[in-house]
Parts: sequence; structure tokens; C-alpha cells
Amino acid sequence: MGKVTKFGDDGEEVTMKETPTSHQPEAQDDVSMADAGEEGEEGEEEYEGEEEGTKVRLLPGSTPTAASFEFLEENHTLGNALRYVIMKNPDVEFCAYAIPHPSEAKMNVRIQTYEGTNAVDALRKGLRDIQDLCDVVSDKFLEARKDFTEKKAAASA
Amino acid sequence: MDYDPMVMDDAESLGPVVKISQADNTRVKFELSNTEICFANSLRRVMLAEIPTIAIDLVEIEANSSVLADEFIAHRLGLIPLNAEGIDALLYSRECDCDEYCEHCSVTLNLHAKCTGDDIMQVCARDLVPVGDRVNQVLGSPIINDPEGQGPLILKLRHGQEIKLQCIAKKGIAKEHSKWAPSAAIGFEYDPHNKLHHLDLWYEQDPKKEWPPSEYADWEEPPQEGEPFDYDAVPQRFYFNVETAGPIPPDAIVHEGIKVIQQKLAGLIHELTESDGGENGYNGPRSPGYNEGGDNWNDQGSFTPYGNGGNQSSWGGQGGATPYGATPYGGGQNSWS
Repeated sequence: MGKVTKFGDDGEEVTMKETPTSHQPEAQDDVSMADAGEEGEEGEEEYEGEEEGTKVRLLPGSTPTAASFEFLEENHTLGNALRYVIMKNPDVEFCAYAIPHPSEAKMNVRIQTYEGTNAVDALRKGLRDIQDLCDVVSDKFLEARKDFTEKKAAASA
Repeated sequence: MDYDPMVMDDAESLGPVVKISQADNTRVKFELSNTEICFANSLRRVMLAEIPTIAIDLVEIEANSSVLADEFIAHRLGLIPLNAEGIDALLYSRECDCDEYCEHCSVTLNLHAKCTGDDIMQVCARDLVPVGDRVNQVLGSPIINDPEGQGPLILKLRHGQEIKLQCIAKKGIAKEHSKWAPSAAIGFEYDPHNKLHHLDLWYEQDPKKEWPPSEYADWEEPPQEGEPFDYDAVPQRFYFNVETAGPIPPDAIVHEGIKVIQQKLAGLIHELTESDGGENGYNGPRSPGYNEGGDNWNDQGSFTPYGNGGNQSSWGGQGGATPYGATPYGGGQNSWS
């Protein structure tokens, strides 16, 4: 949050960024495109930065069933797991993630779903599924740790 | 859930399985199986770099007549493990309302030692004295595990030399600086027989002779003689070895790691849901410069405008009726295409 806020406060830095959406799949060399992207970044961050700090945004060129998301301050930790879990969703046709440049703390996720569903739902579902997975692993670990302690106590007694 | 993300092709799937093979105060070794390398790696990465702990971050040196330079000592102080129990109650300094630091976002430790005898004096972590109010009675205290009860050696003083300083310990994560790492190391291993050929072992004559077998080699079937390579095989059993540096017990590192992932996800879900909810949640304040060039993509602001049904025109350009149907990226219709 802190970093995002700083970014938003510092309007200059944002506008100085010349390549806002370099990782656009649909980006065509068009001036208005670049402008739109740049302003989008600035506007959103400025506003959201005041309270929450926006960590995820939809990249221009997205449609309901085929969307690209940009995550700020995320990396392979989330990216790869998210990609995997989303790909497991039968509604999803395609999912991939990329870190466009190692010195930019950004992570992009592309989701394409089948007709009748939408990519944002797939993303949300993916996030929830990892949460469920985390819950299970956490419980299993606790359980295993308890068993281990008991067995050890039993063995030494 | 209408599908199980953990279903393996060959699974009698009960979801992820954890088996602990060793656990004590300094380390826990466990096997995580029936899950994917993606998740196992996320857990590893998070345990390594994103669990908040506390470490000395600022040092004000009042007197230093030792042979070591100020910055050298400051660096050594930073690396001393401090107890991170109850770290959740401590704020990040950057998120605190105070000007520089206060008791809500830091712990102050004093060090004052002067050698008056003829012997060389050892100044150890034990000599760091927490002062002032703390979130709880242990947070920020140096970790002392050696039998002598000294803690890590900071510096040595000769007769007449003196060191006097004040340390400000702050909350942080190892992604920023490794002094905040809760673990001394995270062992992570899979496929001990290298059946998947993820490793290309260097050897002179025979890799089997020259590479000692992993301690987990007995846990898995060794490859059969002349066994064909299985192209569909994926790693399924992951062997973790979490060794703590002291701030947090090893089990807690695992739990905290999972918690950090959960928090990340919760934050994102929250944001997605929030921007989803109110109509055009964050549209208002940004409109002026925003609609220049008539890009309607930004116009409706919300993340899932199409999820609301019938709201199709919000996506497209001037076309309205066929926003992303026929000519979404066609010439000129949408400003962003």
C-alpha cells in the first residue's frame, strides 16, 4: 500500500512513464491508445491510492471473455499458483501470466474463458480456490504436527 | 466448488497431504504431496521473503571507541535475530501516524558497554536492552539460544574502549532486506531420483557414483533399469526443510507463510469485489482528463461492467451496440484500438 500511495501522490513520475501498457496483447501503435493507457494508470492510482491502493486493474483491450489483468507488487509467488488454479477451471480456455520486466513490480495475467462466462469471475474464483487450498494445507499441517508430537511423546514415554 | 483444483490425473484425491518427518525448536521437515509445484513454490517463496518480523533498522551511535567502524556495527546489529512474537500488533513504520517512529511501530534497544578490566570484553546480543513501552514483553528481545546465554557476538572491546548506542527495531519483510527473514534457510526438494530430468547432473564418469543420494531418495521408487521417460509426469511430492533463525518457531513460519498468501488473496478479492459493486465505483474523481479522446473503456470504471448484464455498451467505443462483438479492435471505432 505504501508504495502505491507514493506512486499516486507523485503525479510527475506517473506521467513521465512513457510505456504504460507495453505488455498489451492488442496494443497497436496508436497515439490515442498510449494516451488512454497512461491516463488510466494515473487516474486510477490517484484515486484508489487515497484509501486502498489499487493492486489490480483491467488492461485496455479486454473483453468479457478475454481479459488481461495487471497486478501491482505481485510476482511469481502469486502468478504461477494463480495461473495453475485458474487453468483448472473448466470454464477457462486459456490462462497465462507474465512479468513483463523484472525491474517493474508488475505481473500480468491473461484469462480467456468460454462463451457465457467471464474472465473476472474466473479470476475471482481462482483467488478463492487458492484460499481454500491454503486453508486445507494449513489444517493438514497443524494436524500432522499434532500427530508427530503425540507419536514422539508416546515413543519417549 | 464445482471442480476440485487439486484433482490429479491419477488421484485418489483427498487434497493436499502433509507428512512431518522431523520437528523440533529449530526446524521442521515435512513432505507436501498431492499438490502442484506452483503452490509448493508459492509457499516456499512466501516463507522465505514475505513473513513480517522485526529487526534493527536505525542505529544512533553516541559513542564508539571500539576498533570497528560505526556502519560496520550498525550492519551487524541489523542482522541480530529479535523475537517476533506478537508482530501482528506492531505497525509498519511507514503506515504509522507518528513522524519517525514510536512504540506502536518500533522497539527501542539500548547498548552501553565499556571495558574497564584488562581482559578483552565481548559485547553480545544479550547486552541489548529493550527500553520503553512495547506491544508485549518479548517482542524485539534478542534471541538467545546458545548454552552460555550470550547471544550473537556483536563486537569486542579492549581496556578503555566504549560503545554506546540506541537501536530502533522495526517491522519488515525479507523482500526488503534479508535481515527480516524468519528462516535461516528453506530446504525445498522434489524428485530425488531426477526422474523428471529437471536437473542435468554434471559428472566425470558416472553421476550415480558421484552424486550422493538425497535423504529422500528412499522415500520414492528409484527408476527401473531401462524405464522409458514419462513425458506426462509432474512433480508431486515436495520436501520442505524449514529452519528458523529464531524470531518465529518453525511451525509458525509455515502457518505465517500460508497466512501471508491468504492475506494477499483476500486483499485482491476484496478489491475485485469492491470495484465490482457500486456503479462506477471510482469513476467520478477521475473523469476530467479521463475521457479525452473519448475512450469509453475507462468510462464505466468498474471491473465487470459486463457482469451486470445489459450493460454491454459500456465497453465499446461509440458503437455501443457491438462493443466487442463485430469490430472491437477494428479501425477507429474504439479509441484504444
